[in-house]
Amino acid sequence: MYFLNRHTLLISGKGGVGRTAVAAAIGLASSRAKKRTLVLEISYEESSQSALGARFGRPNLNEEALPIDDYLAIGRLNAKVGHSLFLRTILPSKTLIAAALRSKAVHKFLTAAPSLHEMGIFYHLLTLIQKTRADGTRKYELIIIDMPATGHTLALTGLPAILLRLIPAGPIARALKDGQAILNNPDLSEAWIVTLPEKLPVTEALELVDGLTETDVTVGGMILNRMPPDPFTEDERAVLDAYCETGHFFGQLTLARIRAAKVAMSDLKNRFDAPVLTLPEVVDTDLMTNPLQSHISELMGAES
Amino acid sequence: MNPIQDLIRTRKVIVCCGAGGVGKTTTSAALGLAAASVGKSVLVVTIDPSKRLAEALGVDRNPERPIPVDIDGLIDKKSEGSLSAWMLDPQLIADRVVERFSGSNRDASTLMNNPIYQNVTAMVAGMQEYTAVQALYEFIHDDRYDLIILDTPPSRDALRFLDAPERASAFLDRRIFNLFVPGEGSAIRRMTTKLLEKVMDVSFGPDTRRELQQFFQLFGGLLSHLNHNQAEMRRFFGGEDVSFLLVTAPTSAALEETQFFSRRATGELDLDVAGVILNRSLTHCRGWTMPIPGFHEGQDPVLSAAILKLRQFSLREQEMMEGHLQLKGELAALSGDKGWVFTLPHLGPDASTLDGLSAIAHYMADDENDQYEK
Repeated sequence: MYFLNRHTLLISGKGGVGRTAVAAAIGLASSRAKKRTLVLEISYEESSQSALGARFGRPNLNEEALPIDDYLAIGRLNAKVGHSLFLRTILPSKTLIAAALRSKAVHKFLTAAPSLHEMGIFYHLLTLIQKTRADGTRKYELIIIDMPATGHTLALTGLPAILLRLIPAGPIARALKDGQAILNNPDLSEAWIVTLPEKLPVTEALELVDGLTETDVTVGGMILNRMPPDPFTEDERAVLDAYCETGHFFGQLTLARIRAAKVAMSDLKNRFDAPVLTLPEVVDTDLMTNPLQSHISELMGAES
Repeated sequence: MNPIQDLIRTRKVIVCCGAGGVGKTTTSAALGLAAASVGKSVLVVTIDPSKRLAEALGVDRNPERPIPVDIDGLIDKKSEGSLSAWMLDPQLIADRVVERFSGSNRDASTLMNNPIYQNVTAMVAGMQEYTAVQALYEFIHDDRYDLIILDTPPSRDALRFLDAPERASAFLDRRIFNLFVPGEGSAIRRMTTKLLEKVMDVSFGPDTRRELQQFFQLFGGLLSHLNHNQAEMRRFFGGEDVSFLLVTAPTSAALEETQFFSRRATGELDLDVAGVILNRSLTHCRGWTMPIPGFHEGQDPVLSAAILKLRQFSLREQEMMEGHLQLKGELAALSGDKGWVFTLPHLGPDASTLDGLSAIAHYMADDENDQYEK
């Protein structure tokens, strides 16, 4: 069984591979399996529209977790929210909290100083992971994070180790260690890398595996998105290849792409020692009826 | 003359902007090759490219200085041109700045040993873009190269590069830096510094707070030089030797992105956006044949069956080509009197090999090429 037996899933991969669609589809599938699920994206610019929210018809999604139905909520991680949550827990007096939150200098420092931006996002995530219900059970059984592009992902997953070297003690260090205890525990957290069945994306996905492994994040597997269907028998393939030699035909690019996708997939399977799941190419329309979700539901039921 | 030829012959700097994943690095490298083949000595500056492109160009990652690329056999004529590539390491550029501008050798080495500084380029948003501009600054007064092509760092949106220097300078602002350094200024300043110290002490502990203050004090001293360079570069970017190109791919967001980019770059920043490169397009498929099952009498029945199965893909490709042609027209309409759109073919997985680069460069050099629209 994939995805469901973890607390947090980091969905990573380079831009344009369909990361947000996959994260949202896993969220939908998990909520339909009656798991209390939260899908998060990271907002680097507060004013920017939400790519995740747009898939649920809520492009103006803000920092509050927004319930979609009984089991599914979506939200955005934001540094500023994290900073104010953090200042509230560490500062000894209300007056000091108010002064710090009002101070332009503190605000500028928090947004601009090295790593503190990532730290805010990290802290916001941590508080959501730790949220409980009245009966003490976790508010969200599965949290799925649509991670930013490669560089920002590694800045975030590498943050605890870097910052702990700089700041070995104090409340930030404690928060970082709490976060590590969850995100670096393979029983609780996994990263899944979304990539495409093409040569370059596969190479880059493998580089990302190395990067994530260096930051002590366990890679659960890869999701090969937009795998083109191959309806041809070997005989048909051979005659078509010969036919395409005789001129330029519409359809020949797809034939080349199907071939390249198969090569890329077997190359990936040879070089990567964890599950490789494939998702077919679908026309990306309204998410609630998105066929990706039913494919993922199937994968969730599959034995791993 | 096709507009790319015009550009590589007349400009000194071409800045390639574009969102991540559109093939910007490949396009920059191919532009460099195209310029070398008309006799220019070219430097392509790129930040953290994919390993494969570095391999294709036969250069190491993050070398200390530009490395000549072996282009024999890649360019047709016996041209005088040369191509160098520099995969830039932002930390290295920052170190150079520190060495050059620090008040003393002791200050420089204290700063370089400061743990905050050692992580600064990895940790400050916009720092990569900032150092890219610093690196370019080293070369603009240097006549070793006729043309420098700057491949901007990968980001979610094309505008990032234009905004990044400001974003970094929000951090690299002397006035903010001074707030962290105790013992100077007015009573209000000193009170603010005290508040910050308090917040930092409870957040990080006093040791880290002192390291931060040391970093702010020493690095703050370099800011006037950095900001001077940055201001000079901004003027240089606005000059007639420099053009910006937007690299985009045929997606639903392409039109809107181009609109935003042009407005911001031309309207607000007064930069020269020469044109748009529509990468990975199928516009070159105009004139291709639609395969028809059973078209020839006595056609192999296996082939007929296969063509029948292929039909959905053939129709889809034709439809995409039409969509791309339309997009090209719409982009051209957006780009004003002087602007243009140049389409590059979808080469698939081969695009970033040396042969692929060479194919794209030939495409850019082709004067008969009808893939552009003004």
